[in-house]
Amino acid sequence: MTADLKHTLPGAIAIVVLALVPLLPVPPFWITLLNNIGLASLVAIGLVLLTGVGGMTSFGQAAFCGFGAYTTAVLTTAYGFSPWATLPLSLIAGAATALPLGLITVRLSGHFLPLGTIAWGLALYYLFGQVELVGRYDGISGIPPLELAGHRFLSGQSIYYVIWFFVIATAIGARNLLDSRVGRGIRALRGGGQVAEAFGVDIVRAKLTVFILAGIVAALSGWLYAHMQRSVNPTPFGLNMGIEYLLMAVVGGAGHVWGAIFGAGVVLILKDLLQRFLPDLIGSSINFEMIVFGALLVTILQFARDGLWPLVLKFAAKRPTRQPAAAGSLPRRTMPAVGTPLLRIDMARKAFGGLVAVNDVSFEIKAGQIAGLIGPNGAGKSTTFNLITGMLSLTSGSVFYGGEKLSGMSPRRIAKHGIARTFQHAKILPTMSVLENVTLGAHLRGSAGVFKSFLHLERQEEATLLAEAARQLERVGLGANMHRPAGDLALGQIRILEIARALCLDPTILLLDEPAAGLRHAEKQELSALLRKLKEEGVSVLLVEHDMGFVMGLVDHLVVLDFGTLIAEGKPAEVRQHPAVIAAYLGEVAA
Amino acid sequence: MDATIATFLIQDGLTNGAVYALLGLALVLVFSVTRVIFIPQGEFVAYGALTLALLDGGRVPATASLLICFGLLAFLVDLWTMRRGTSTAAILWSVLFNLALPAAIYAVTLGIAPLALPSLVKALLTVAIIAPMGFYVYRIAYRPLADASVLVLLIASVGVHLAMMGLGLVFFGAEGLRARPLSAGSFAVGPLLVSAQSLWIYGATIAIIVGLYLFFEKTLLGKALRATAVNRLGARLVGVPTQFTGVTAFLLAATIGAVSGVLIGPITTIYYDTGFLIGLKGFVAAIIGGLASFPVTAIAAIGVGMVESFTSFFASSFKEIIVFGLIIPVLIWLSLGAGLHEEE
Amino acid sequence: MAKYIAIWTAGALALSFGNPTLADVTIGVTVSSTGSGAALGIPLKNSVELWPSEIAGEKLKVIVLDDAGDPSIATTNARRFVNDDKVDVIVGSALTPASIAVAGVAAEASTPHFSASPVPPNISKGKWTFVLPQDAGLIARTLFAKMRADGAKTFGYIGFSDSYGDLWVNQYKAIGAEYGLEMVADERYARPDTSVSGQVLKIVAARPDAVLIGASGTGAALPQIGLRERGFIGTIYQTHGAVTFDFLRIAGASADNTVFASGPVMVAEAQPDTAETKKDGMDYVTTYEAKFGAGTRTQFGAHIHDAMAILKKAIPVALEKAKPGTSEFRNTLRDAIETGGPFPASQGVFEYKADDHLGLDERAVVLLTAKDGKFELIE
Repeated sequence: MTADLKHTLPGAIAIVVLALVPLLPVPPFWITLLNNIGLASLVAIGLVLLTGVGGMTSFGQAAFCGFGAYTTAVLTTAYGFSPWATLPLSLIAGAATALPLGLITVRLSGHFLPLGTIAWGLALYYLFGQVELVGRYDGISGIPPLELAGHRFLSGQSIYYVIWFFVIATAIGARNLLDSRVGRGIRALRGGGQVAEAFGVDIVRAKLTVFILAGIVAALSGWLYAHMQRSVNPTPFGLNMGIEYLLMAVVGGAGHVWGAIFGAGVVLILKDLLQRFLPDLIGSSINFEMIVFGALLVTILQFARDGLWPLVLKFAAKRPTRQPAAAGSLPRRTMPAVGTPLLRIDMARKAFGGLVAVNDVSFEIKAGQIAGLIGPNGAGKSTTFNLITGMLSLTSGSVFYGGEKLSGMSPRRIAKHGIARTFQHAKILPTMSVLENVTLGAHLRGSAGVFKSFLHLERQEEATLLAEAARQLERVGLGANMHRPAGDLALGQIRILEIARALCLDPTILLLDEPAAGLRHAEKQELSALLRKLKEEGVSVLLVEHDMGFVMGLVDHLVVLDFGTLIAEGKPAEVRQHPAVIAAYLGEVAA
Repeated sequence: MDATIATFLIQDGLTNGAVYALLGLALVLVFSVTRVIFIPQGEFVAYGALTLALLDGGRVPATASLLICFGLLAFLVDLWTMRRGTSTAAILWSVLFNLALPAAIYAVTLGIAPLALPSLVKALLTVAIIAPMGFYVYRIAYRPLADASVLVLLIASVGVHLAMMGLGLVFFGAEGLRARPLSAGSFAVGPLLVSAQSLWIYGATIAIIVGLYLFFEKTLLGKALRATAVNRLGARLVGVPTQFTGVTAFLLAATIGAVSGVLIGPITTIYYDTGFLIGLKGFVAAIIGGLASFPVTAIAAIGVGMVESFTSFFASSFKEIIVFGLIIPVLIWLSLGAGLHEEE
Repeated sequence: MAKYIAIWTAGALALSFGNPTLADVTIGVTVSSTGSGAALGIPLKNSVELWPSEIAGEKLKVIVLDDAGDPSIATTNARRFVNDDKVDVIVGSALTPASIAVAGVAAEASTPHFSASPVPPNISKGKWTFVLPQDAGLIARTLFAKMRADGAKTFGYIGFSDSYGDLWVNQYKAIGAEYGLEMVADERYARPDTSVSGQVLKIVAARPDAVLIGASGTGAALPQIGLRERGFIGTIYQTHGAVTFDFLRIAGASADNTVFASGPVMVAEAQPDTAETKKDGMDYVTTYEAKFGAGTRTQFGAHIHDAMAILKKAIPVALEKAKPGTSEFRNTLRDAIETGGPFPASQGVFEYKADDHLGLDERAVVLLTAKDGKFELIE
């Protein structure tokens, strides 16, 4: 059996089994249960994107289901729309609600978002109960069933296929999305926001995208719910259900799309078993379900923090790794003419409260130069990097690229100029493969959007991006590690990975923060050779480095900072003789 | 609306706001020290109020036996953690805290519950029964997760909340209870009728706020908690045991919860699931305080009480929508001021 | 992995145990024994335990499930009853939205359904749903008539912000004018609210002659106490949902002189011996309180008892014509319920008709007042 087949087989079997279940002599209740699992899975898939991947926790998804369900309920009962005609409208209702809520909340960090979602989850529930149009607390009944070519989807068996068609389509779409250019940006949101931003991912937009997507799939679930149940009222769209959906995503494993379906199944089947058999087991009619359920949840978190799906995955075949095909090459930027002024820092100043980290520093880098930025610890080197790349805002002064003023721009816009960087504390996404980490660097060189990615219509472009990343990896000597998780690499390798990622941007200037730290001698030689090669191609380099041997042999121009102030500048040989440098920097090394 | 009604509403808002303030403070305290968003805080309020109400009826509250169950469970968890070698002293401590302490509290409760006790004694007994639960909840549910992300801790909180609410339903039943006030009677202040119980509420709230201030400013343990709140790793490096600060935070939170229950139990009907809603209003205040600032939280809580009181007069049908919708403008304001943050 | 498979298989096996042995009469009960309707649902669940184990020699198989007041869960439960357990009768739920959902399934599956909560008219007109509690219209007419008799012309309303709270405002809108009444305030609160001062102040400021409270159980005590604390001296009227001993325990002295509309079961002992509801009411009250303690009876639990009182007469009729578990049985049972009355029970005398599935008349409502922590019958 080929690896490919081995990987796709379990999924194919699962789909066949799912398709056959209603035809088998199973108790009809199984179908009802599976329908409920399907509906919940949709919401949970949205939560996987939002929470597990995007790092934004929401307790309020049930409210979006409500908007989907009520939209179709009102339109079909009061205005005579056909159920299918309301599908796009329901989805739009979900998106339209998610948009303003998202605009408000996605900019918030960590814990504010979940608490905010609790609040709106409650508020919207009471709102449904107050509005005359949607039947107040009694809701709306008599919603028509779905109809297709004269067949009315009345029975559990028939709507089963509709529900699971949508579940599987959504799951595949979500997987497609994550495995794409847009998806890499989304996956970087959790723990890699700065990297993503530095390579041109619009973070706010990426967050908003997942937020709205999660809202839309929840609305889809609501739409299906309305036509399965054929009556709606506020209770299923309250906070309690919102909490339960999140539980499903977490129990399944918040980072896995299939885990969402698994989690929904575990939670709903467990609840059913508890309610059916617990009273007999403990011989009492007191309600222990809630207690057992809560305790179980805490236990799962204590013993399987990433949810149950990873445990299942242990037994699954590894996803086959494909060598990126050498699909077409990406257009290159024209490099500025060697010797022209490229980057000019003019009286840059950064103060953190009373502490001045960078004190009115000015220097210039010419195209095709390798420049070094050196100085003792705390001299303000990394801060200068952050000022150039827009990670920090200048207190005063400015930064120019060519003739254009960079200061005040977002890191994303600065990256568009061809300014790529590495980080002093290497920032990678440890669970993503080395190749994917590097491909993130090529974000700006692709253009496919959410819709294309969802349907995997951007394969051509994606293959080109991956091929470019693979080429850069080969170039820096990490080609053999392409498919390993980036977290497995040694520190030195991670620094090289960051260089490959920066190269993917097709930079005019590379800003390298201590690239040689953690490298062995031979590796440093290779790095030097690589940087010289880049220089020949017209790429300029600005590097911060502590290894003087490495720097002196490599750079054309040296800038020395001490306590945030520029103390010397010039050719390496000259700077080496500068008394202030000897006192401040080399003196320290000598001591 | 005339001035009399306005003063009534302000008084009502102040009374409820004071209770929300206590809960908001407890939430900020627990979050800043342990990063746990403590959804079950409200359950301690419900447990406190319901325990007091049962003591009023001369009955032994089920929470006393629940305490023993919690202790036993904590003991088992201790044994599980100690399964790979331990010391006699550790086991002795565990027996003392997890088995002897709840047994002693249970014995005392059993002994004095049927007696006609002064209200204050019953209130203190209630706090003595509920407060240790904070310790056990931390030990059982949160300590094994001490290094988990905020999200995991939040979900765990939801689990603890469900379990505690379920226990409340089993032990107290679905119908509500109302306790007797700590002191009966009321005073006329101008047109206002100020009940003695509301004076207790204001007094206790102020006392707890002052107490917390002194604790954080003047005691070594308090300073250790503050240090942990500012920088967990740093605090651990200089020798502040994070487990110890965690225990203290939960113990304080449970105590504040129980006190809130004792205060609010006599002025309203409390159900097994009331705590959640009260707790959420504390949350609204805590969020406004950024889950970090004690004074802002306290002031915001009073504000929440006021808004609630006035909307219940002007638009009672929309009260929940307004109170919980209140958070939206706050979030907008916070989001305008917020830069981009790295997720934890 | 083996462990997980084991659990899943256990689950799968367990799930397939739904099929009853044929020929037993199977009844599915869905009630809210948790969630916000737990106070209503638990007495229902308890009352099911008092049901007989057989009727006319046929074994009775009863399945009780919790729906937490959530219509989705209630629907799921009902679907399981009709599809898997092949029940002959569905009973439930305790809350209106959940009952509406159950009624939908019952109609689809042509299964007789007793709703243990009031339902809107479009539902009670359904062919398969029979309503056990007194219709809101019946209670409202009784209360409005009493208000008029007491000389009240205006009243203030405060009720739950839910389906039950809406019910009484709708009744006022429909029939209030017939009684010359004007509603001068419409205030809402939620059961777990800690204060209703704002609402009470607003009502007092509107100076109504009387106040109607539309709430249930102990939840109805909060405005009762609040109104008296704020010095409201007019008569307060409570609906049948509030008539529980727990309410009196919480409301204490503030409940004195309040007028309650109630089913007769709450004062079963005080009924005249001629009352048709006395014998059955006493039966229920005695057995229930023997099992669950003195002073634990509720209106809600009595509805469950009444469902059985009806079935005890209707099932033997149906058994003569068909076997349980078949659609003929369900059809004949439905007909027997619809035409076999009157069924005297604890809460009233049920006499359903093809165009009336409410089935109760004024014999199902008594007016009570509270005195010294006890309910007393108003003559």
